[in-house]
Amino acid sequence: MKLRRLQVEQLRQFRQPFVMDDLQPGLNLIHGPNESGKSTLVRAIRAAFFERYRTSSVDDLRPWGDSAAAPTITLDFDARQKSWHLVKSFLQRKRCDLTIDSTSYSEDEAEEKLSELLGFQFSAKGVSKPEHWGVPGLLWVEQGTGQNIEQAVEHAGDHLKSALNSLVGEVASTGGDELVEQVKARWSELFTPTGKPRGDYQKLEKEREEHQREIDGLQARIQKYQEQVDRLGKLTHDYERTRQERPWEEAERQLEQAKERYRQVEKLEQQQAQEKEILKHLQSRQQLLRQNQEQLESLNRKLDVRKAELEKAQRALEQAEARSPSVANSVQEAKSAYEAAAKKVEQARLQETRSRLEQDVQRLDQQNRTLTQNLEKARQYQQELEKAREQARQNQIDVKALKALKDTERQLKEENIRSQTIATRLTWQLEPDARLALNGEPLEEQGERQLLEDSSLLIPGVGTLGITPGGEDLASTRRRLSTLEQSLTEQMKTLGVDYVQQAEHRVMAYEAAERTLQHTRELLKSVAPVNVEQLLADEKETGARLQAAKSELQNSPAPEPGQHARATDVASAEAGRARAETRLAEAEAEERKHQTELLTRRQSRDNAKAEWQQLQDEVHSPEHQKQLQNLSTELADIDDKMGRLAATLKAREQEIQEARPAILKQDIERYQRSISTLRQAQEERQRELRDIQVRLEAWGAEGLEEQRNERVAELEQCNRRYQELHRRARALDLLLNLLTEKRQALTRRLQAPLQKHLDHYLSLLFPQATLEVDEHLRPGTFTRGTELGQIAELSFGAREQMGLISRLAYADLLQEAGRPTLVIMDDTLVHSDTDRLEDMKRILFDAANRHQILLFTCHPEKWSDLGVAPRDIQAMKEQGSTNPV
Amino acid sequence: MPRFLHTADWQMGRAFSRFETEDGAALVEARFEAIEKLARLANEHRCDAILVAGDVFDAQTVADRTIRRVFNATRGFTGPWVMLPGNHDAALAESVWTRARRLGAVPDNIHLALEPGTINLEPQGLAILCAPLTQRNTYSDLTATFNSCETPEGLVRIGLAHGSVQGLLPDEIDSTNPILPNRAETARLDYFALGDWHGTKQIDERTWYSGTPEPERFRNNGAGYALIINLSGPGELPAVTPVETARYQWHQWRQTLTVESDLDQLLERLQALPEPSVLDLRLDGSVTLAGEERLINALSVAEARFRSIQCDRSGLQLEPTDDDIAALKADGYVGEVIEHLRTQQQNDDAEAARDALAVLAGLLKERKQEISE
Repeated sequence: MKLRRLQVEQLRQFRQPFVMDDLQPGLNLIHGPNESGKSTLVRAIRAAFFERYRTSSVDDLRPWGDSAAAPTITLDFDARQKSWHLVKSFLQRKRCDLTIDSTSYSEDEAEEKLSELLGFQFSAKGVSKPEHWGVPGLLWVEQGTGQNIEQAVEHAGDHLKSALNSLVGEVASTGGDELVEQVKARWSELFTPTGKPRGDYQKLEKEREEHQREIDGLQARIQKYQEQVDRLGKLTHDYERTRQERPWEEAERQLEQAKERYRQVEKLEQQQAQEKEILKHLQSRQQLLRQNQEQLESLNRKLDVRKAELEKAQRALEQAEARSPSVANSVQEAKSAYEAAAKKVEQARLQETRSRLEQDVQRLDQQNRTLTQNLEKARQYQQELEKAREQARQNQIDVKALKALKDTERQLKEENIRSQTIATRLTWQLEPDARLALNGEPLEEQGERQLLEDSSLLIPGVGTLGITPGGEDLASTRRRLSTLEQSLTEQMKTLGVDYVQQAEHRVMAYEAAERTLQHTRELLKSVAPVNVEQLLADEKETGARLQAAKSELQNSPAPEPGQHARATDVASAEAGRARAETRLAEAEAEERKHQTELLTRRQSRDNAKAEWQQLQDEVHSPEHQKQLQNLSTELADIDDKMGRLAATLKAREQEIQEARPAILKQDIERYQRSISTLRQAQEERQRELRDIQVRLEAWGAEGLEEQRNERVAELEQCNRRYQELHRRARALDLLLNLLTEKRQALTRRLQAPLQKHLDHYLSLLFPQATLEVDEHLRPGTFTRGTELGQIAELSFGAREQMGLISRLAYADLLQEAGRPTLVIMDDTLVHSDTDRLEDMKRILFDAANRHQILLFTCHPEKWSDLGVAPRDIQAMKEQGSTNPV
Repeated sequence: MPRFLHTADWQMGRAFSRFETEDGAALVEARFEAIEKLARLANEHRCDAILVAGDVFDAQTVADRTIRRVFNATRGFTGPWVMLPGNHDAALAESVWTRARRLGAVPDNIHLALEPGTINLEPQGLAILCAPLTQRNTYSDLTATFNSCETPEGLVRIGLAHGSVQGLLPDEIDSTNPILPNRAETARLDYFALGDWHGTKQIDERTWYSGTPEPERFRNNGAGYALIINLSGPGELPAVTPVETARYQWHQWRQTLTVESDLDQLLERLQALPEPSVLDLRLDGSVTLAGEERLINALSVAEARFRSIQCDRSGLQLEPTDDDIAALKADGYVGEVIEHLRTQQQNDDAEAARDALAVLAGLLKERKQEISE
């Protein structure tokens, strides 16, 4: 389908006719800023096709405020090798006129042609909605809806499928999907979603088992009942027979016989036991006599033994007695050795004490001497200290005053010098006997004087000469000089010196005394650290201790001279004594042991002697001899009796053996048991008979078999119902599987062409990626490398791109099926980045080879490299206004 | 001129498991009614006695209520009844009979032949030689003692036994409880009343199986009768008259449908059947969708008419004609499914395929109706 020309008038902002012609078969890029009428043109195309001309629900087409307007759209396009001219007016003039080549259609008929051509439906009432849009809904992308493809595909579904059908030559079933749903619903009544029986189907299965269990239970009881009936029959028979035969009576007779035989044997056994007792008695008597005889005979042997024992004891005693002196000796020796060792220890201790005291005396003496010396020195130092202190006191002088004195002296000297220079000099050289007196003072021979004051020179004989010194400062100098002299005199007086040098001497003397004082103090401290009194006390104490030590030494006993001159030390002496003590103890122990042994042996000898004596007396008595003789006579008699008795016993023993008493006893037991068993068996039968009868009566009352029959009937009903459901279940299962399978097979065949077109575009956008078409012919699973997911999970931009390529794929598919295609895009791909947009341009350019594409945008700069000249709505408007149609 | 009624195999206490509960109950009830009917017939025919040749009860342990109801049902006839234990109700040490006695359910006019021997009904002129089963199964001929059994002069000798006459009955009847075919002759019996075979059957001129008075299975045609025996005197031949007693007729039909007219025929036969019928129908062959619809309608009508009708159609294939399929508007893959199911009916899982096809056809038809509405 190729749109050639579009004209709108009285439609929204296009109050005046607006024409867009020369539309190209491929790409058409139409741009204009916002509000310029881009979307209005898109809306106009939609309205021309989708909205019924007679609808009143298209008020949005009306120019604002113009209630008399008849929005009119005129379209010229080629489709199906024919030229189509459509004029559609709404609202005030409701009309639709369609001319195909030279054939004209109008009103509803015209609209039917349009919907049939493009594949959409009209709204039954009101404005057209997305669900009516069909194929154009898929190919005409409204602003901002490029990514929402699922709904659009669904609305175009039937048209797509029919296109696919014609392409693949398959026929999709009419309402087949609905049928599948119905079968599925019926299947779901019997099965859970996982294919397990549910509801009645499941319940019946359980019920069947329950019935079967009940029947089995009843059957088991019936079996038991029948067994009991059989048992009852047999028991009754046995009981009656036994009652008549009385089998225990024969056993009783045999028992009596066995008992009689056993009584006879018992009698024999009694006799035998008695005689055995006698024999036993004789045997013990014989044994006793023999023992007596033996005992008597043994006395002689015992006597010899005792004799030997006595001799042995005697010998032992003698040996011990012989050892006595040597034992005593060794004790004596050990004792004296011990005493010597003890003495040695005492001496060693004495020696040790004395040497310690001597050392003490020596040490204290030394100490005492040192202290005495120190004391003397201390006294001497103390005197020196006093002397130095006195020296210091005498020469003490104020150092500042001294310094002032010196200054005064220096100023005086300077002043003197100055006065000399300004003073009037008077020199004289007198004749040897000339006399002169200056100011009353006679002058002699020659000299010179500096005169500062008015002076009178008396020349005897001559008179008196007055001299008045001239010069400016003479008077002030004279005053200063006198002031300084006065001050000097005063200062010297204060210091107590006659001249300045004397003061300096005193300073030096003071300092020397101070040094001496310091030195002497140090010396004193070296001999008397605390003070002299303490030193004195120390000396006294040391002296006392020395005295004490000396007297102690005097009093201590002197070691015995000569003996042990070089006494051993105490420790080794002690060790020697300990050894001697040990030896002494050993010797004493040995002696005690010896004494004990001696006593013991003496006792043994005495005992042995007494025993021997006693036995000696006994053996040789006449009674003893007589006893021995009696015993041998008695023994012979007993031997004889025993021989006879043994013969009798042996004979009778054989007799008893032959009668087999043990077996006889067993016989008796056997017969007794048989009788009681037989009787018990019969009683048991009687009891069991009663029991069974009672039991059978109870069980019979339950009507077990009839119950079972009823249960079997129930089970069979259950089974029948189950079989019905089971058959239905199997049928539904089979049907559902078949339908699903065939439907899937069909879908797969239908998907193939669409997939081919989709792959074509996808490879341009995402090489290596795959996008699968699902059973509803919607793009489904998307894979790219390791990514796997649904389109809905992608970013908005990617979804929009996917949406667009899918739409182009549908367009290809439709075209391939001979359907008209027109792609309209209103400001799409605004969310694509530059690279993707580049790819999308290639895709659009490629698609434009097959389809007419109207691309409306307000960003013409983005599409400048699309290979087509952009058309400006604004410009077209102006052009239109200058060239009114 | 003794006259008596011969019946057997009442099988009281039997449940009819293959039927729906309601139908089963009705069939059980019919058996009690049959006893009442026997009593009525005995009165109508002025019988002297009623002989029951075994299997009065279906089992030893039937409910007390069943026992009481059985004896209650005999009240209509106050003359002597002689009841013989059969293989289902053998006279064991403990049996349904001993229980009946303990319950005090047995009226005085009913003689229980629990031991072998003769029951003399002198007022009625009958000497009844009884061979009751005293064990569940017997492999010797219990009637052998009849030969040496003497009966009072002037009484007709009637044998009463339960078992299989050797060599005469079909093999499928088990060979336990054998009976010599010419026992009537060897034991000099005037009439030999037998039970065990559920259809009425004559063995020789003096020997008869009465059959069960109310049919209870589809085999054994000839069930549902009692016999009235007239004996003019000892040594005379008996006059035997079968009298119908059945309430329900049991039918079992096996039919193959191949052409359209087969179905017509079947429906006509169904139409002709009387209402108190129990029908077991098994169909095979094939039927068109339209035919199936007719069949289902007819069965639905029959269900309401008859006591019970059971129809097994699992062997009957559905063969939709091209017209059928066109009528269903099954195009596309649904058409493929139909074709697949048609083919599969020839294979192993024919039943499922047939059912699936039926379901599918049903759904398509519903849709068609919806559309046409």
